[in-house]
Amino acid sequence: MAEQSQTLSSKHLLGIKDLNTRDIELIFETADTFKDVLNRPIKKVPSLRDVTIANIFFENSTRTRLSFELAQKRLSADTVNFAASSSSVSKGETLVDTVNNILAMKVDMVVMRHPYAGAGVFLSKHIDAHIVNAGDGAHEHPTQALLDAFSIREKYGDVAGKKVAIIGDILHSRVALSNILCLQKLGAEVMVCGPTTLIPKYIHTLGVKIEHDLLKALNWCDVANMLRIQLERQDIKYFPSLREYSMLYGLNKKILDSLDKEITVMHPGPINRGVEITSDVADSKQSIILDQVENGVAIRMAVLYLLAGQSS
Amino acid sequence: MKTLLLQSVTILHPESSFNKKAADVLITNGKITAIGSSVKSPGNADVIDCKGKYLSPGFFDLNANFFEPGFETKEGLESGSVAAAAGGFTGVAIMPNTQPAVQSKSEVSYILNRTKGNLVDVYPLGAISQNREGKDLAELYDMHLAGAVAFTDGNKPVADSGLMSRALLYAKGFDGLVFSYAEDLQIAGKGKMNEGRMSTYLGMKGIPALAEEIMVARDIYLAEYNDARIHFSTISAAGSVALIRAAKKKGLKVTCDVAAHHLVLTEDLLEGFDSNYKVKPPLRTREDVKALLKGLNDGTIDVVVSQHTPHEIEFKDVEFEIASYGITGLQTVLPLLLKAGLAPEAIAEKLAVNPRTILGLPVPELNEGAEANFVVFDPTAEWELNSQTNRSKSTNTPFFNQELTGRVIVVCNNGQVNL
Repeated sequence: MAEQSQTLSSKHLLGIKDLNTRDIELIFETADTFKDVLNRPIKKVPSLRDVTIANIFFENSTRTRLSFELAQKRLSADTVNFAASSSSVSKGETLVDTVNNILAMKVDMVVMRHPYAGAGVFLSKHIDAHIVNAGDGAHEHPTQALLDAFSIREKYGDVAGKKVAIIGDILHSRVALSNILCLQKLGAEVMVCGPTTLIPKYIHTLGVKIEHDLLKALNWCDVANMLRIQLERQDIKYFPSLREYSMLYGLNKKILDSLDKEITVMHPGPINRGVEITSDVADSKQSIILDQVENGVAIRMAVLYLLAGQSS
Repeated sequence: MKTLLLQSVTILHPESSFNKKAADVLITNGKITAIGSSVKSPGNADVIDCKGKYLSPGFFDLNANFFEPGFETKEGLESGSVAAAAGGFTGVAIMPNTQPAVQSKSEVSYILNRTKGNLVDVYPLGAISQNREGKDLAELYDMHLAGAVAFTDGNKPVADSGLMSRALLYAKGFDGLVFSYAEDLQIAGKGKMNEGRMSTYLGMKGIPALAEEIMVARDIYLAEYNDARIHFSTISAAGSVALIRAAKKKGLKVTCDVAAHHLVLTEDLLEGFDSNYKVKPPLRTREDVKALLKGLNDGTIDVVVSQHTPHEIEFKDVEFEIASYGITGLQTVLPLLLKAGLAPEAIAEKLAVNPRTILGLPVPELNEGAEANFVVFDPTAEWELNSQTNRSKSTNTPFFNQELTGRVIVVCNNGQVNL
C-alpha cells in the first residue's frame, strides 16, 4: 500500500453530505487497492495496527456490523463491540455519556448505528474521536451509498451519466437518501419508485425523478436498486399487505426479461425473497448483490484507513 | 419608588393626544404625574434622556411557560417574572403546562397569590380539560371567577371535536375565551420538524402545515356554529393565516397570535440538527414567514407572543429526536420583532394593546394621574443575550451569546421600576 498522501476533507463520515466529489473518488481509489488485497491469499495489512475502533450499535444489525468488523480486522485494528437495544436509547444513560465511557478506555474511532436521524452529527459536537455513521434513523448510511456507487463504477467503469432507479420504501430509507446524494455527486441520474405512501411528499426537492409504475422505472434505468421492505421501521401501515406490495413492486424474472435492455439489479440486503425481489432475479447474472457485499468490506476499509490517517 | 423624568420620549398609545409624538413624562410614586412637551424636573428625579426611544404601555404576553408548579428547575413564577420584565413585559398570561395542570380554583389562586403586586402581573390560563387529557371539561367557571383569563390545554391540542365545541359553548355562557392550539396529532404523526425540503434532506418525518390548518379550519367551524369567541395560539402556516383572514372577513369572533421566533426563523436552520431550533409548531418555510408578516400587517394576526418555553440543558442537549420543544423567549421578543421589520407603533399594538383587548383587560393609560404601567425601549440599541444578561433559569435559545438590536430601557408597573 502506497504512502497515504491525500486525506478526506471531513474529520468524520457522518453522511454523504460531508463529502465532496474528490473525497468520494479518493475513497474509491483507496478501495480499489484494498479490494486487490482482499483477493490475495494474505488478506491482512498492518495499516491500522494500534488503532482501536468501537462499533457502537444502538439498533440491530448483523451484516453492516460484520462488514465493518471484517474491514477493521483486515486493517489490523483492535475492535470492540457495544450493542444496546434501540428501545433503551431514550432511557437511562445519555448517548454522550455512553460514548465517552467507551472513549475513556482509549478508543480512537467510533462506528455508530443509531435509530435517530442526526445522532452522529450531535455526537460529533461532543467528542473528539473520528465517527463513522453506520446508519442514523432514515437520515444517512454513507458507507452503503459508497459501496453501491463503487459497485456501479466497477460494473460500468463510471457512475456519471448512468440512470439509477431506487425502488421501494423511500420514506423510511437512509440507504435511499445517501444513495441519491452520492449518485448525484458522481453525475448519475436518479429516480425513486415505490408506492405513493412510501415516497416523501417533497422528494422532488432533491432533484430526483419520481415514478410509481415499476415497469416504467425499469425501462428508464440502467441500474435498479431494490430496497428491502422494512416493516419494522413502519410505525403505521403504509400499504395493505406484503402480497399487494410484491404484486405492484416485486421484481421478477418475467418483468426483467420483458425489458428491451439488460439492466443491473442491486439490493442492499438482507433480501426478502419473494417480496421485493424473486429468487430467480436475485440469483441471476444481472444481479450484483454479492459484489456489493464484497465491495462493502473494501469501501469500509478505505473509509477507516483514510479517517485514521488524519490523526497520525 | 423613585421619581423619574423621561425626556423627549416618543409616546406610543392610540388613545393619547401625544401618540407618536415626543413628550416629557414625569412619574412620581408609581403614577404619571405630568406629561407634556416640556416638563420641569422636580429636582429629586432621575432624569433619562429618551430621544429616539419609545414609551408604550407595558408589553403583555399571551403565551409563556413559567412551569410552576411542577417544573421549577426549568423556570418559576419569580424567575419567569424577572425575565418577563427584562423583556419589557408588565403582564404575562401563563400556560397551564404545569404539574398539576392549572385546572381548578386552587392552582389559579396559588399563582395569583404568589405573584401579587410584583412588577409583572401574572395571569393564569386555565386548562380546558381535566389534567389536560382532552376528555372532560375542567371547572372553567370557577377558574374564571378565581382569575383565569382564558382557557387552553397548553401544548396539548384538543383532539376531540365534541369537547372543543362544548368548551367554546360553555365558556361563552360567562363570556370566557377559549384558546385553540391547532395541531392534528394524527396528521403530524411522528414528525419532529416541518414537512418540506429540509425534512426530506435530513431524512426526518415532517409535520405538514396541514396538521395545523385542518385544526384551524375545524375550530373556525366550531366557533361559528356556537357563535363563540375563539383565539388561535401560535399559528405558523400560511394556510392558517388565510383561513383566519377569511373567518374575520366573514365577521366571526376570531383572533390569533404568532410566536416571535416564527417571524424570523425558518426550517433551513435545522440543517445541523441544532435542537435549539426545535419548537412546536415547527419552524416553517420562507413563504410561511412572509404570509405571517403579511397577516400581522393587515390585521389578520392580532398579537405576537413569546411562547417562552424554558428547558434545562439535559432536555435540549440530546439527540434532536428526543429533545424537548421550545425556546426561552421572553427577552428576545422585542429584538425579533424589530428584526422582522415591525415599526415601533406596530410593536405597541401587537405586544401591548391587542393582547389586553383580547382578554378584556384595560390597556394602561398614559395620561396624567394614571397608574404607571409602561415600557421604554430603544429600537437601535445593541446588547448581547448571555449568562450576564439572561434572566431566565434556562438558556435554550438560538440567540444565546448573540448580538441583538432593540433594548428595553425602563419597565414600570405596580409602583415598581426596572431601570
